[in-house]
Amino acid sequence: MRDAVVIGAGFSGLVTAIRLAKAGRTVTLLTKGIGGIQLGQGTIDIFGYNPDRVTDPLAAVDAITDGGHPYAHFSGTEVAAAVRYLAELLPDVFVGDPARNVLLPTAVGALRPTALVPTSMAAGEVTDGKKYLIVGLARLKDFYPGLVAENLGRTPLPGGGSVTARAVTVDFVAREGEADSTGLNHARALDDPDNRRKLVALVKPHLAEGEVVGLPAVLGIHDTAAWTDIQTQLGVPVFEIPLPPPGVPGMRINEALTRLAKDAGVRVIVGNRVVDHAADGTTLTGVVVNSAGSKTGHAAKAVVIATGGFESGNLHMDSYGTVTEKTFGLPLANAEAPLVHGDYWGADQPLFKVGVAVDDAMRVVGSDGAPVFGNLYAAGGILAGATRWREKSGEGIALASAVRAADSILGEAR
Amino acid sequence: MTIEHTHEHEQLMRASLDHCVKCTICETQCPVAAVTPLFPGPKFVGPQAERYRHGLSVDHSIDYCSSCGTCTLVCPQGVHIAELNSLARGAMKQQNNMPFRDQIISRTTLMGAVMTPVAPVANWALGVKPIRVIAEKVIGLHRNAPMPTAHTQTLQGWVKRRGASAPAKPGSRGKIIYFHGCAANYFELETGQKTIEVLEHLGYEVIVPKQGCCGLPLQSNGLFDAARKYVRKLVADLRTGGKDIPIVSASTSCGSMLKREAEEILGVADPELADVGGRMVDIMELLLKLHDEGTLPEDFAPMDVTLPYHPPCQLKSHGIGVPATEVLELIPGVKIKESGVACCGMAGTYGIKKEKYDVAMAVGKPLFDMVLETNKELALCDSETCRWQIETATGVRTVHPITIIHKAYGLS
Amino acid sequence: MRKLEADVVVIGGGSTGAGVVRDVAMRGFKAVLVDRVDLAQGTSGRFHGLLHSGGRYVVSDPHSATECAEENEILKRIQADAIEPTGGYFVATPTDDPEYGDRFKTGAEATGVPVNEVSIAELLRREPRVNPKATRAFETLDGSVDGWQLVWGAAHSAEQYGAKILTYHRVTKIERQGDTVSAVICTDDKTGETVQIGCSFVLNCAAAWGGQVAAMADCHGVEVVPGAGIMIAMNHRLVNTPVNRLTYPADGDIIVPVHTVSIIGTTDQKAEDPDRLQISYEEVQQMMDCGEQLVPGFRQSRALHAWAGARPLVKDSRVSATDTRHMSRGMSIIDHSERDGLKGLLTIAGGKLTTYRLMAKKVVDAMCEQLGEQRECRTADEVVPGSEKHTFYSVSHRLHDREEDRLSEQILCECELLTKKMFTDLQDEQPLATFDDLRRQLRLGMGPCQGGFCSVRATGVSHDRGKIDIERATGLLRLFLRNRWIGLWPILNGDQVRQTALDDWIFEGTLDIGHLPQPAEEVLR
Repeated sequence: MRDAVVIGAGFSGLVTAIRLAKAGRTVTLLTKGIGGIQLGQGTIDIFGYNPDRVTDPLAAVDAITDGGHPYAHFSGTEVAAAVRYLAELLPDVFVGDPARNVLLPTAVGALRPTALVPTSMAAGEVTDGKKYLIVGLARLKDFYPGLVAENLGRTPLPGGGSVTARAVTVDFVAREGEADSTGLNHARALDDPDNRRKLVALVKPHLAEGEVVGLPAVLGIHDTAAWTDIQTQLGVPVFEIPLPPPGVPGMRINEALTRLAKDAGVRVIVGNRVVDHAADGTTLTGVVVNSAGSKTGHAAKAVVIATGGFESGNLHMDSYGTVTEKTFGLPLANAEAPLVHGDYWGADQPLFKVGVAVDDAMRVVGSDGAPVFGNLYAAGGILAGATRWREKSGEGIALASAVRAADSILGEAR
Repeated sequence: MTIEHTHEHEQLMRASLDHCVKCTICETQCPVAAVTPLFPGPKFVGPQAERYRHGLSVDHSIDYCSSCGTCTLVCPQGVHIAELNSLARGAMKQQNNMPFRDQIISRTTLMGAVMTPVAPVANWALGVKPIRVIAEKVIGLHRNAPMPTAHTQTLQGWVKRRGASAPAKPGSRGKIIYFHGCAANYFELETGQKTIEVLEHLGYEVIVPKQGCCGLPLQSNGLFDAARKYVRKLVADLRTGGKDIPIVSASTSCGSMLKREAEEILGVADPELADVGGRMVDIMELLLKLHDEGTLPEDFAPMDVTLPYHPPCQLKSHGIGVPATEVLELIPGVKIKESGVACCGMAGTYGIKKEKYDVAMAVGKPLFDMVLETNKELALCDSETCRWQIETATGVRTVHPITIIHKAYGLS
Repeated sequence: MRKLEADVVVIGGGSTGAGVVRDVAMRGFKAVLVDRVDLAQGTSGRFHGLLHSGGRYVVSDPHSATECAEENEILKRIQADAIEPTGGYFVATPTDDPEYGDRFKTGAEATGVPVNEVSIAELLRREPRVNPKATRAFETLDGSVDGWQLVWGAAHSAEQYGAKILTYHRVTKIERQGDTVSAVICTDDKTGETVQIGCSFVLNCAAAWGGQVAAMADCHGVEVVPGAGIMIAMNHRLVNTPVNRLTYPADGDIIVPVHTVSIIGTTDQKAEDPDRLQISYEEVQQMMDCGEQLVPGFRQSRALHAWAGARPLVKDSRVSATDTRHMSRGMSIIDHSERDGLKGLLTIAGGKLTTYRLMAKKVVDAMCEQLGEQRECRTADEVVPGSEKHTFYSVSHRLHDREEDRLSEQILCECELLTKKMFTDLQDEQPLATFDDLRRQLRLGMGPCQGGFCSVRATGVSHDRGKIDIERATGLLRLFLRNRWIGLWPILNGDQVRQTALDDWIFEGTLDIGHLPQPAEEVLR
């Protein structure tokens, strides 16, 4: 019998498991595959739009009036503490202040608000009068520096002012004999100091006075010195711009957190889908996984579901339009049709607000507000009520709910 | 097996491509794509290319897949990527002519049986460069690739011979069937002997039925029909050991064949296979289970040592996590350093082939470096071909984790 | 105002118009084709992709059946690159009357359509996913055809004979001098310029829009009833050949493998306006149920995209105007000199893609007759550009090509294995094209991710080449994503929801495309 089984290996699953294990609990983390951290951009968003652009995300959390939003269960201070918990788990990885959003350029040149950013992205912060040189790599097809630079240059800043940006593309050879190298293969190449020197030699002639250099987020995968080395060699501030998945910054975080979990004693089991559960009345006694063709039980005192929503397939809409939660068949909030509408650039698609409702302890509750199981908790993208990607709220919700769920299990909830 | 049945199975595997959302997580973890552009990556040759296949396989680069199964394991969406690739590769090999080499190395029992009576000669031949050079030229085995060492006796012979002298006490924990696989029978008797002795030490009555090859080498070389015959025969062999008795294995890849691959790749849906697969448990999985239940004797002799341990890809595909690490660290003083590497490059028989050898060595390089950095005397790995690969590449003696448990129980 | 001169102006760039302009040009007339949007953007690209063997009509419409069988053979000869000669099956599912098979067989013999009854075991060997409880099956010479490629092939052929193809030219007026057509006035919607094309003959091939075009020549009351049908593309080939139900033609009775997908069709609803076709929940459910009949498990398969097409059916007083299926499938030619006293204008509508060449021949014959000229039709004898080698399309082509060039070319759209070079080559030919225009010819964004990964690449590449400024590049991206969604949201379920979530994660989460500077006016073309 384990103290806890955590299902899912994204931010919420890993952080819940680590927090429990560090408190001395026996934890098994079950995951179907690698979690979603590397599908995201690698920053810690708390609240970017509500729907207007947010400058103080903690204040925006406090201002939530919609009881169905996950942040209704948290104060800004609690969210900040959860975000800091992650930052302390991964020292020297992030910079920033949970109470202040910064704007970072995206790979199409939009200004994206976020709270904590990897140190390698910090120099990209958009401020009035800043000058950018955006550098593309010819063999990397997911980054077009002209698109970034020209959209940046034509965007008025929220508080007034503007930036200037130029673009240049260099033919950096990530792998000999390959015209189409992935972001990860670029990053692997840049783990090698020789290749960094080659990249620097290609970029250096293009530098102009007073510019910061933006590169796609492929500056090394395992060598944490790669970015600083390139910056030092170029002699100007350098920053990374996240790409569509699979994203290298997310991979770095995922690997670090997974290692932390194992080091903390979490039993991480990949390749297991939870297909069934056992219960004694309203207490879960364990879950059953399908591993290599046979069913294996994992008995546990508490279970945390941190599977994410539709993106993982745990929320599933069938061909009749009915949405179900695939692991436990949990009751869902906001699941009434119509869940999609035809106006692509219009109002929120209700689909993305479907999820499970929870109480303040993060216990999954039914429509009557009563816990479905007394020891089943939820964290992260499975929670109902947020349009995570449009709001830029995913990591904040994941971390706050993970910390709360863990603390509830530890008996330390408020 | 009827034709319709195979069709149905292939259709099911093919249907899993519908789950692919192109997140490309599989390609980030593929050990082969990481080291060579010759392999386009599991997403490319798997769910992506499958939409273009119409009986005909036109993409020969799929043959660079080593079948390590990492892609299927890490896919968060449940696409049977490796299985799709295996099926497509099987179709391709049927279309083209199977190289003689793939037919030889696929028949492990044949190779073992042929080599055993003439072991000294065989070992001499395999150790001598000029002969290996000829082997490379003629049948395409790379001259530097690791080859198993043959013994003058088999594990089956050892079991039979020890017969009366073996501990006669009926197991306090009841019976258990031991599935040793070809490697322990012909090439690595030590692993088999130690597994049996540890099980007996724990109080099991170990039954070792006569048993053949599981067919995995045939399957990974695309010889599906022959592989099905082998696995069916093996299932019948193991069932002679008795009903409802758990079956334990220390060969991760052969265990995985019975647990999963025979059904998922070969489409064998016999209830007899399901029975055997459902009873199959890995030796380290069994020990961890006993530990969790609180019935594992933990009176281990202390050993002050840090050991590099490579959980092989075939073990990960069992979906049981990495039980050896936890079990070994129950021994006072033992520190285990997991390799953190997806694959050693061998992936069954992939790394012995002439055209794949360099790729396999590049795949394994981070592992070899890590082994040499951690301990130059001894390394651990659950899978036999991976042990040979690590040993050949690093010169570090590499054994199954059960060897350490055996020693810690004072059995050696 | 730009001024052009021609003998004949063809209005409408669907299959009929393209076939007509090719035929006209090959007979030596100076011809111009105009379309208000891109070629084959209407019904010719919005069907299920079936190349008829005639089998479908052997009972309901024997004359059409014979025509289809003949044209099937001709098109395979002249447009191999647009056609996959798969063969096909007609299958009686458990709820279908097996007796119909006898009528089918008799009809086939009478119409000269080759069919052959096969055992269910043989059917399942070839089509393992088809309902194993089927009671009868016939094989036919059905195939699949890419409507866009067919139309572009004909247009390129016409160009070789001196014809001009003007897309995005919207007709605003057909002018007359006395009782004869004298000019067509258009607006070039890409530039805003007015274009006058002097001519003595106009062939109105605007199909479902034919009534609107005729009205521009003051010929009112031409009623073309758009019969709207929806199609759904499934993520991969659930069938290897077109599989029809062995019944009298009805809704939802066919699944066709086209390129990498399989398409189920179709419904039939009377539509008011061919520009505003709806895809209703009920119709989607109807298609899903029908799919389940033919291929058990269909509902669990991944639906990628849906679209609606408007059959151009000229109103026939013999049947009720709301029952469009039972109107004649044969084409109608309206001679406006008889009907409205205007010489030099023929309106043509109806017909099928498979018989597009034959229809073109008939209408051009009718024109020649009115002009009193004797010129022979040669369209059946000459291969169109791109099909010179007589190599049929095969689904494995692109995989084979990428196996060759994968290390030297970047792949822009991975689902559809489209290289950057294929994209930029076409963009060089058609620099004003939208991403959707390029998509129809290249299949950009038509695979499972529905543009999730390739749309930004297409934008970046286009902008990078210096031919499109940042406002247009960003606007084209917005347009492409919006248009993809039109075909996505009505069928969104199952695995495609996962994809939509990931795509939203990319577009809104990582890239924040929604917060790029908003255009003063959306780019629409």
